Amino acid sequence: MSAKGVLRTVKNYTKGYTPIQMKVRKATSNEPGSPPGSLMSEIAQATFNQTDFLGVMEIIDKRMNDKGRLWRHVFKALTVLDFLLHAGSPYVVEYAIDNIFIVKTLREFQHIDDSGRDQGSNVRQKAKELTALLSDPAKLKEERKNRN
Amino acid sequence: MSQYQFSLRLGDRVKAEQELMTSVRKATNPDETAPKRKHVRNMIVFTWDYKTSMPVWDSMKSQPLKANEVQCYKAIISLHKVIREGHHVAIQEALTQTKFLEDLAHGLGGGAYSGWRNYSVLIRAYVNFLLAKLEYHRLHPEFNGMFDYKEYVSLRGTNDPNEGYETIADLMSLQDRLDEFQKLVFRNFQPASNNECRIASLVPLVEESYGIYKFATHMLIAMHQRVDGAEEALEPLRKRYNSQHYALRKFYYECSNLRYLTSLINVPR
Ligand SMILES: CCCCC/C=C\C/C=C/C/C=C\C/C=C\CCCC(=O)O[C@H](COC(=O)CCCCCCCCCCCCCCCCC)COP(=O)(O)O[C@@H]1[C@H](O)[C@H](O)[C@@H](OP(=O)(O)O)[C@H](OP(=O)(O)O)[C@H]1O
Ligand SMILES: CCCCCC=CCC=CC/C=C\C/C=C\CCCC(=O)O[C@H](COC(=O)CCCCCCCCCCCCCCCCC)COP(=O)(O)O[C@@H]1[C@H](O)[C@H](O)[C@@H](OP(=O)(O)O)[C@H](OP(=O)(O)O)[C@H]1O
Repeated sequence: MSAKGVLRTVKNYTKGYTPIQMKVRKATSNEPGSPPGSLMSEIAQATFNQTDFLGVMEIIDKRMNDKGRLWRHVFKALTVLDFLLHAGSPYVVEYAIDNIFIVKTLREFQHIDDSGRDQGSNVRQKAKELTALLSDPAKLKEERKNRN
Repeated sequence: MSQYQFSLRLGDRVKAEQELMTSVRKATNPDETAPKRKHVRNMIVFTWDYKTSMPVWDSMKSQPLKANEVQCYKAIISLHKVIREGHHVAIQEALTQTKFLEDLAHGLGGGAYSGWRNYSVLIRAYVNFLLAKLEYHRLHPEFNGMFDYKEYVSLRGTNDPNEGYETIADLMSLQDRLDEFQKLVFRNFQPASNNECRIASLVPLVEESYGIYKFATHMLIAMHQRVDGAEEALEPLRKRYNSQHYALRKFYYECSNLRYLTSLINVPR
């Protein structure tokens, strides 16, 4: 496990995260690469349970609102949310539509890293796609149906 | 379902207001740059979470805006974005703050801003544009801050074409005001600067003008379908629409040469 992974594990316990929250934190960590599909599927399943659903959304919300330097948290949280909107429980859909402003306002997300690279563009693109999806519930419903 | 929103995001209001205050202070700091999106976003998100924008105004009032032209300009950009992207209540509340905005336009001691960066004239013009926008919203409360057509139709219920005529004529007047202001911003670019702070004010103007344009397009099409003898009756509006179309193309073309802006939003063509 990387040093960061160790740190995350330490935080998981000191902050009292539940097992499913730890998984969401792992899926949305600051390490390069995209969240593994198997992990996202597991999280999606968990959202059919009310308590786990709340725990999952709490972490996703935290990650989406993280600082610019941690843009990977934001990007991966959007990625996981996208997955959950398609494969998670209907609670996720309702919750995300209710809170669309969180995603909408990320369409202008900015972060230039120390080497001058614009790391915000991925987040902006993803936020645009998700905003469009959340503004068109009929389309989302269709996409959810086709998945099953 | 809103109970989930309640349990997840509405934690400690006092802490949220402190963080809001920090965001307002940072967004309006004296560096001649764009207000950082992160901080403006915090303001917008606050209005949705707590269904009020009043703490944003209160925090603005505790900043030394009138003593520094850059801080003042950044404050106005931020407020414009809050009014556009915030909860609908932000418009109603902004309408109670017009006196504060007018005061900002006049600077310290009623005179011009003393800075050497020439923001004075921009501040006054921006405030005037914002006041015109707010006045439009006062007269037409069925609009949201972004002039979203779908929401307008669902909020409004009636479709009396005569009402439509006035709505759209007033909206076109607002578009003219916007066009004048954006030209002033371009004229005010300073050769020895990257102009980031000035360009930052073009971002909401591009979005606003495009919102108005799309709205006018939808509305005109709908009216042509509804009104008898529309061709003739709507001729003046069509003429105006066409000339605004041309002006906008020019505006967007000029914006497309500004890297800061194009990296951030898609400039329409
Ligand atoms: C025997 C031994 C001896 C000794 C000695 C010593 C001693 C040694 C000492 C050492 C110091 C060692 C390391 C110091 C490391 C870093 C220095 C900190 C620099 C620093 O300030 O870094 C912080 C991060 O730090 C941490 O999160 C956290 C940092 C944590 C740090 C931890 C440190 C720990 C330390 C420990 C210590 C301590 C101590 C103690 C001691 C005791 C002994 C007995 C800021 O880092 P940043 O620049 O990335 O963050 C920015 C910054 O906050 C901006 O303000 C913010 O923008 P605004 O919101 O606009 O303001 C940016 O946001 P966006 O990206 O969203 O735009 C942030 O991203
Ligand atoms: C012989 C055996 C030994 C064993 C043992 C063990 C022992 C043990 C050791 C342990 C270390 C234990 C604790 C570490 C201490 C402080 C932790 C600092 C808090 C901290 O988080 O600082 C970091 C990094 O700081 C630095 O860059 C600067 C980091 C500077 C760090 C400095 C540290 C200093 C310390 C010192 C010293 C010293 C030590 C010790 C002592 C010992 C003596 C005997 C600032 O964090 P950050 O703002 O950069 O962002 C993090 C980071 O990006 C992570 O990647 C991210 O996690 P994931 O996305 O999940 O991967 C975090 O996300 P979450 O918010 O969701 O968790 C972020 O919050």
